[in-house]
Amino acid sequence: MSERLLEVTDLRTTFRTVTGAVPAVGGVSFDLHGNETLGIVGESGSGKTVLARTIMGLQPRTNVEVTGSVLLNGHQVVGASERTMRTMWATEVAMVFQDPMTSLNPVMRIGRQIDETLRVRLGMDRHAARARAIELLTMVGIPSAQSRYRAYPTELSGGMRQRVVIATALACSPKLIIADEPTTGLDVTIQAQILNLLDSLKEQLSMSVILITHDLGVVATRATRIIVMYAGQIVEMGDTRDVFFHHRMPYTRALLDSSPKVTNAPHTRLAVIPGRPPNLSTPQPGCAFAPRCAYATERCHVEAPTLVDASAPGHRFACWNPLPETSDREAR
Amino acid sequence: MSDLLDQSPGIEPLREQRLGPLFWICVGWLTLNVLGAIFANVLPLVNPLYQNYIVINAGPSLHHLFGTDDLGRDILSRVVFGSRVSLAVGSGAMLIGFGIGMPLGMLAAYRRGRLDSILTAVMYVLLAFPAIIAVIAVISFWTPRTLVKIIVVIGLASVPLVYRVIRSATLAVATKDYVTAAKVQGSTDRRILFRELLPNIAPIAVSFLLIGVATVVTLEGALAFLGLSVNPPTPSWGNMINESRTVMAQNPWLVIFPSLALCLFLLCLNFIGDRLRSYFDVTEVKL
Amino acid sequence: MSDERQPLLKVRDLTVTFGKGAHAVSAVAGVSFDIYEGETLGLVGESGCGKSTTGKALMKIVAPSSGTVELDGVDITHQRGRALRQARTRMQMIFQDPISSLNPRRRVRGIVAEPLDAWKTVTGEQRDRLVDELLNQVGIDPEVYGDRYARQFSGGQCQRISIARALAMRPQLLICDEVVSALDVSVQAQILNLLEDLKAEYGLTLLFIAHDLAVVKNISDRVAVMYLGRIGEIGPSEVLYEAPAHPYTKFLLGASLEADPDSAPTGAVLEGEPPSPLDPPSGCRFRSRCPYATERCAREEPVLTEVAPGHQVACHFPFIAQ
Repeated sequence: MSERLLEVTDLRTTFRTVTGAVPAVGGVSFDLHGNETLGIVGESGSGKTVLARTIMGLQPRTNVEVTGSVLLNGHQVVGASERTMRTMWATEVAMVFQDPMTSLNPVMRIGRQIDETLRVRLGMDRHAARARAIELLTMVGIPSAQSRYRAYPTELSGGMRQRVVIATALACSPKLIIADEPTTGLDVTIQAQILNLLDSLKEQLSMSVILITHDLGVVATRATRIIVMYAGQIVEMGDTRDVFFHHRMPYTRALLDSSPKVTNAPHTRLAVIPGRPPNLSTPQPGCAFAPRCAYATERCHVEAPTLVDASAPGHRFACWNPLPETSDREAR
Repeated sequence: MSDLLDQSPGIEPLREQRLGPLFWICVGWLTLNVLGAIFANVLPLVNPLYQNYIVINAGPSLHHLFGTDDLGRDILSRVVFGSRVSLAVGSGAMLIGFGIGMPLGMLAAYRRGRLDSILTAVMYVLLAFPAIIAVIAVISFWTPRTLVKIIVVIGLASVPLVYRVIRSATLAVATKDYVTAAKVQGSTDRRILFRELLPNIAPIAVSFLLIGVATVVTLEGALAFLGLSVNPPTPSWGNMINESRTVMAQNPWLVIFPSLALCLFLLCLNFIGDRLRSYFDVTEVKL
Repeated sequence: MSDERQPLLKVRDLTVTFGKGAHAVSAVAGVSFDIYEGETLGLVGESGCGKSTTGKALMKIVAPSSGTVELDGVDITHQRGRALRQARTRMQMIFQDPISSLNPRRRVRGIVAEPLDAWKTVTGEQRDRLVDELLNQVGIDPEVYGDRYARQFSGGQCQRISIARALAMRPQLLICDEVVSALDVSVQAQILNLLEDLKAEYGLTLLFIAHDLAVVKNISDRVAVMYLGRIGEIGPSEVLYEAPAHPYTKFLLGASLEADPDSAPTGAVLEGEPPSPLDPPSGCRFRSRCPYATERCAREEPVLTEVAPGHQVACHFPFIAQ
C-alpha cells in the first residue's frame, strides 16, 4: 500500500532566458505513496506548475535545464527521451490541466479523443475502445454518455469538459494523476462536483493524485499531505492537519490568515503579507520570503534555510525563526 | 496604510529590446533615397534627359558611374531622378489610403452598429473587385496620364485594404477594459479615439504603412513596365526596366541598376516595418 | 433600520437582453434592488448568472432593455450624451482584469489624470498635486512610479492604479466587478483592505460583484444572490450566511471550500449545471436543480418577499427559522 510511487530528489528546473537563468524550481525533494492525495499549494510564480510539468517530463529540451531525479514507479524521468516518456504517459502518469478547452481538441468528437488513447496505447479494437470510452464517460458522471460520445468539446459546459479531460486521463488506468488547478475556472458548485469526483475515482481505482492549487480550501479536506511552495522551493510540508494547525513557517500562516473566510464578520480586516512574490530572474541570497516576513532577522537575508524536521513525523519546514510549536488548534 | 506596500520587491524593468544595426542601416539607406529624390536638382548630376550620342550603352566608368543607356543618358542620374516618381507614388497614394481608410476603420470599429455594418459591407465589395485590374483600367482610359492621377487612383484603390487592417486592429483594442474605463469616466469619443485607441494601433498602422508603400512602389513599377505610368522621357524605376528590355543583351547595366535600386528600397521598407512591429508589440515584450 | 435612509441607487426591473428573436438571451431578467448611502452591497452568483452584466448595465456600458436606474433620485436610464457622461462620473467601475484595465502605452500619472483632463475640473499644478495624492493613497509612490508605463506593473499594482483613477472624480458609488479574482491570495487581501480604507475616507458606497462567497462576506453589509438573471435572495450578510432562506444560497454556501481540514467535507452537492439562459425553466428558474422543487415551482414564478426585516427571498418554500 505505501510503496513509493514517486520519488523526487533535489529537482531543479532552470529556464534560460535572454535576461539570464530563472530557477523556477530550485531543489525540491519529496515522496509520494500509493493511493495518496498530495496537495501542492503556492501563489503564482511559486513554481508549482513548472514542478508538475517537470515530473510529467513535459519540459521542452531547449532552453530548459532539469537536474536531480524523478523516479516514477522506478523509472527515471529526468533526462528521459520523449520516446521513453511516451511509454509512461497515460499508463503510469496522466495530467489534468487547468483549462479543459485547451486540453481537448475542439474539432474532434470527445469519444474519439478517448478512443485514440485506448487504441494506440492498449491496442484495443474499435468496438472495445468505444465501449470502454463510454464506460469511462459514465464513470466521470457524464449523463447519457452514449449520445455525448459524439459531441464536440464546444457543445459541453466547462464542468462537463473537465469531466471529459479526467476521463481521457483515466483511459489507460494510470497510477498517478497530476491535476493542475483543475477547478480554477469553474463555478463553486461545479468545483465541488469535480473535486468529489477526483476523490471517489482515487478510491475506486486506487491511484494517487497530486492536486496543485493556489486555494487552500481546495486541499484542506481532500489532501492527505500538503506541500507549500514559495519561489520555487518547498517551505513547509507535512500531513494536512500539521500544515494547517501546527505550521512553523511564517509564510504558511500568512497565506492562511490572508485568505478571507466565510465565517468572518463583515468588514473583518484581513492580515496582509506586504509586497508580492519575488521575481525569480533576480535571485537574492537568503530566504526568498525574508523581504515580506515579519519575523525576518539579519540571518534570513544572508543564508537560505533548509528543510528541517518538526516534531510530527514527516512534517518539515524551512525557516530560521519558526513559529513556536503549538499543541492544539486553539493556539493558532 | 503601512500594509499597502506592494512595492518592496521592485518592479521589473522592461526587457531591453534593441532594434539592431541592420535596422539602422536600412533607415540610413531609405533616408539617402528620400534625400536623393528631394535634392536631385541640386546634386551634381547630369541632366537625366540629356542625350550624349558619343557614349551609348557604355559600362560604368568614372564619368558615368552607372554607365549610360542606349540614348547615351546617364543611368545614375536617371536612377536618382526615377526614384522621385516611385517615392511620390508610394507616399502620395498611402497618404490618401490612410487619410481615408484609417479614420473610417477606427470609427467603424469603435462605434460598431450600423455604421460599421454598412462601411464594412461596402469595403468588402470593393475588396472583392481585383484592384490591380481596376487601377490599370482607370489609368489607361483617364488620359493624359499625370503623376497626380496615378497617385489618386492607386491611393483610392488602397482604401479598403487600409480600412480592413485598421478596423481589425482597432477592434482588438476597443474591447479592452481601459477603453470601457475611459468611457465610464466621461471621456469624450474624440479623447478615446486619440488617447486610448490611436497610440495602441499606431505600431500596426506604421508597419502596414511601410509595407503599403513598398507594395505601391512595386505596383508603379509594374504599371510603368506596361507603359501605363508617367510618360517617357521622364524616368521612373519601372519604365527604365521596361526600356532596358530591348537592349538587355548589349547593356545589362541598364536593367541592373534600376532593379537594384528598387529591390534595396523594398527590402529596407519591409525589414523596417517588420522590425518595428515586433519592437512595439507589448505582449511580446512582456515575458 | 435601513428603510429610514434614502437609497443612493434605486434599481427597478432592470432587464438586459442580448440578441433578437429566437436567439434573445435575457442575461438580466428583471432585477430590483436598492443601495443605501455608505453601505457595501455584495452581488454573488455563478458565471453566467448576470451579475457582471447588471454592473455594466448600471453604468450603461451595456444598454438595459427595460427598467429604471435612479441615482440620488434622478433617473439616469434614458440619459444620453453629456448628461450621461456627467452621471457616469458619479458612479465609477473597476474591472476584473487589472492588466487590460490600463492602457499599456500611457504613463501612470496620465492614466489617473485622464478623467480630470476630460472634464477639466482641475488644471495645472492643482491637477498634478491631486494625481500624486491619489497615487499615494492607493500605495503607489508617484515620485518613483508616476512616470512609468502601465505595462510595467504587476496585477495588484495595476488594480491600485485603476482604483486611483476611479476615485479621481470623487464618485459616490463604486462598482467593483470581480476586482480581486485575478490576484494572488496575499495581494487580494491588500486590495480588499485598501477598498475598506478608501471607502471610509471618501464616504463611498460600494457594489461589490464577485463569485467568491468568502470575499463577499468579508466586505459586504448586505448580499444579493443571483441565479440565471434573477435575484434569489437578498439580505444582511450575517443573516444570509448564517441562515440562508433560498435553497440555492444554501447549496452555494455548502459548496464553498473552507480552508479548514476540520470543516465537513462538502455534503450535499448541487447536482447538474445551470440551464442555458436561452431556454430558462418555467416558473422558478432554479427548479431544475432544486431538490425541493414541486409542481407549483414550475407553474408559478416566485417573487421577492420579505421573510425578515431587510431579508427578501424569491422562493415558494424558503427555509425560515421559526
